Amino acid sequence: MKRKLGLLLIVLVLLLSSQIGYGQKADEVIKIGVFEPMTGANAAGGEMTVEGIELAREIKGEVLGRKVEIIVVDNKSDKVEAANAVSRLIEKDKVVAIIGSYGSSLSMAAGDIVKKAEVPAVGCSPTNPLVTLNNDYYFRVCFIDPFQGTVMARYAVNELGAKTAAVIQDVTQDYSVGLSKYFIDAFRELTGDRNSIVEVSAYNTGDQDFTAQLTNVKNKKPDIIFAPGNYGESALLIRQARDLGIDVPFLGGDTWEAPEFLAIGGEAVEGAVFSTHFTAEAPVTEESGVFLDAYRNKFGKEANAFAALGYDAYMVILDVIEKAGSVDSQAIRNGLAKVKGFVGATGIITLDQNGDAVKSAVINKVDGAKFVYLTTVEPD
Amino acid sequence: MKSKGKPSVILVVLLILTIVGLFLASKFLDSYKIRIITLSGIYVTLGLSMNLINGFTGMFSLGHAGFMAIGAYTVGILTMPISMKEMNFFMQPIVPCLANVEWGFLPALLAAGIVAGLAGFLIGAPVLRLTDDYLAIATLGFAEIIRVVFTNTQSLTNGALGLKGIPNYTNIWWSWGVAFVTIWFMAFLIRGSYGKAFLAIKEDEVAARSMGINLFKHKVMSFSFGSFFAGVAGGLLAALLGTIDPNMFRITLTFNILLIVVLGGLGNIGGTVVSAVVVTVMMEALRFLDESINLGFIQLKGIPGMRMVVFSMILILVVLIKREGLPGKTKRV
Repeated sequence: MKRKLGLLLIVLVLLLSSQIGYGQKADEVIKIGVFEPMTGANAAGGEMTVEGIELAREIKGEVLGRKVEIIVVDNKSDKVEAANAVSRLIEKDKVVAIIGSYGSSLSMAAGDIVKKAEVPAVGCSPTNPLVTLNNDYYFRVCFIDPFQGTVMARYAVNELGAKTAAVIQDVTQDYSVGLSKYFIDAFRELTGDRNSIVEVSAYNTGDQDFTAQLTNVKNKKPDIIFAPGNYGESALLIRQARDLGIDVPFLGGDTWEAPEFLAIGGEAVEGAVFSTHFTAEAPVTEESGVFLDAYRNKFGKEANAFAALGYDAYMVILDVIEKAGSVDSQAIRNGLAKVKGFVGATGIITLDQNGDAVKSAVINKVDGAKFVYLTTVEPD
Repeated sequence: MKSKGKPSVILVVLLILTIVGLFLASKFLDSYKIRIITLSGIYVTLGLSMNLINGFTGMFSLGHAGFMAIGAYTVGILTMPISMKEMNFFMQPIVPCLANVEWGFLPALLAAGIVAGLAGFLIGAPVLRLTDDYLAIATLGFAEIIRVVFTNTQSLTNGALGLKGIPNYTNIWWSWGVAFVTIWFMAFLIRGSYGKAFLAIKEDEVAARSMGINLFKHKVMSFSFGSFFAGVAGGLLAALLGTIDPNMFRITLTFNILLIVVLGGLGNIGGTVVSAVVVTVMMEALRFLDESINLGFIQLKGIPGMRMVVFSMILILVVLIKREGLPGKTKRV
């Protein structure tokens, strides 16, 4: 009896799951799928991105005279779920293009599926070079880690006149490791000195105490410290560095652009410099102004880089559909491969042969508990 | 219990029905549903391998994610095309002895199982002297060590960047083929004298020992076999996703499998198979709870994560009402 009940349950579940597949409306709307971490470790980033995408749809909700619908699925910050989610978007929802995801590893899990199904995907903020590599169907509207690392090395050498640097990286985060590597390469080349990187220390996500690494770094007396990592750990790290009497400038990457970074870091993070995709302070293009105003109206706060990148990913896809005059996935892919000089909220976007955006980076500084715009660095 | 050695008619019919079902599914269903079915097969293997350790032998081990990681990385590194390896390891070149290796899927899967089983043996030998909570802590620590080691061995595993471009060998047949082999092996093992010894150890260690059962040998054996199948399943998962990184193999993964084992009933093969399929399908089927629901007169805005809340509530209910797992009380062999 009990076994029968169990079997009945399975049959029910299977029926239910197959039933959900039906009930599709006639195909007059254009469906664009979004897979982002709405729960789990990366939820904050995913949510900001989705805000940007929803805002973009409100501003431009129609293309080729047809309405656009966005379908958001949660990938739970989990690779297996990310692959399932994308598969679902393609097969069940029949989307023509996909946006996502925050977190490079989640995007990579989707890579094989979009390639096989031949549905183009546009990443908002995955900066790991491996995401688009060898995949003709994956694109992204952000720059990649090699560029970001080089930008910071150049800033350190040219603007701050640094001769030596120490690197403190989070070994469990792919972007932190990648950024550090490119920073080190570029810094050595710019200073022409193999020994200009005096110390490379490592910590793990979730660490609270960085005094061991910092004491090491302090003894080496670097001119600057490059410490890309999550905003939480980074802010703590800088605080502890200041407590130890280390007063050299701290440099970091785009993940620092979060209100929490200021809240946790307080006084200590004053003067910290980092590269990012976008700044609310100095609109890089006309589109930035439009985006910033709309964002302020809808959410009542200043926009951040992730929302802006989500906005751009959506706008790029719509622009391509409009130019191609077709919602065929193949046509959209071919259109995306040819994107050149697209004016987005985060800058002028050109996609190179890998599908990576060639665009300018913004350098921000913490000043008076605010992110203050310093300069824009153009790509080579 | 059915007579030993002769498979019951029901089982044969069930097996044939499943194979026909899988065949029909692979022919007529879309790739999304096939993916879920394939994933179910992997979870069946995982659930059974953990059930052998935790359910049948009664050792509370939480190291499963670590063994999966070993298996996944073995398959990833062994099957990845040589040109892809160069692209992946752009930070530091891969160790020379692995740079020019490209194996087929079956040998790679076996290697994954053997390496994981060996790791299980090595860690099991000292750790299995512990019992209960202490064993749980030790194995948990082991899984974390594996993850941290894989994060830091840049030239072997590519560190935090993970591997990408692992050939997608895993399909419905591989995953369910392995699942069937595992089911058969577990049934075979449990019906034999080893299985009786495992059960005896689970019920009462002192009594088992006084009956002449070599506790240590049987525990290490159960642990190594469990790790072997965990490694194979990890390899299947790597080839299904095509990309892996150390952060995948966190403690939450172990808990997912533990959930399947508990739901299916500790020491119950059939129950584990059923619960593995149900849990995998439910996680996807409940996705509609995340979306906005239109009831005609009112539009409810979707709340991401709602499905996990509902899923957890179902779990709590099951555990409260049917403590032995969904299929009922464990049968004694």
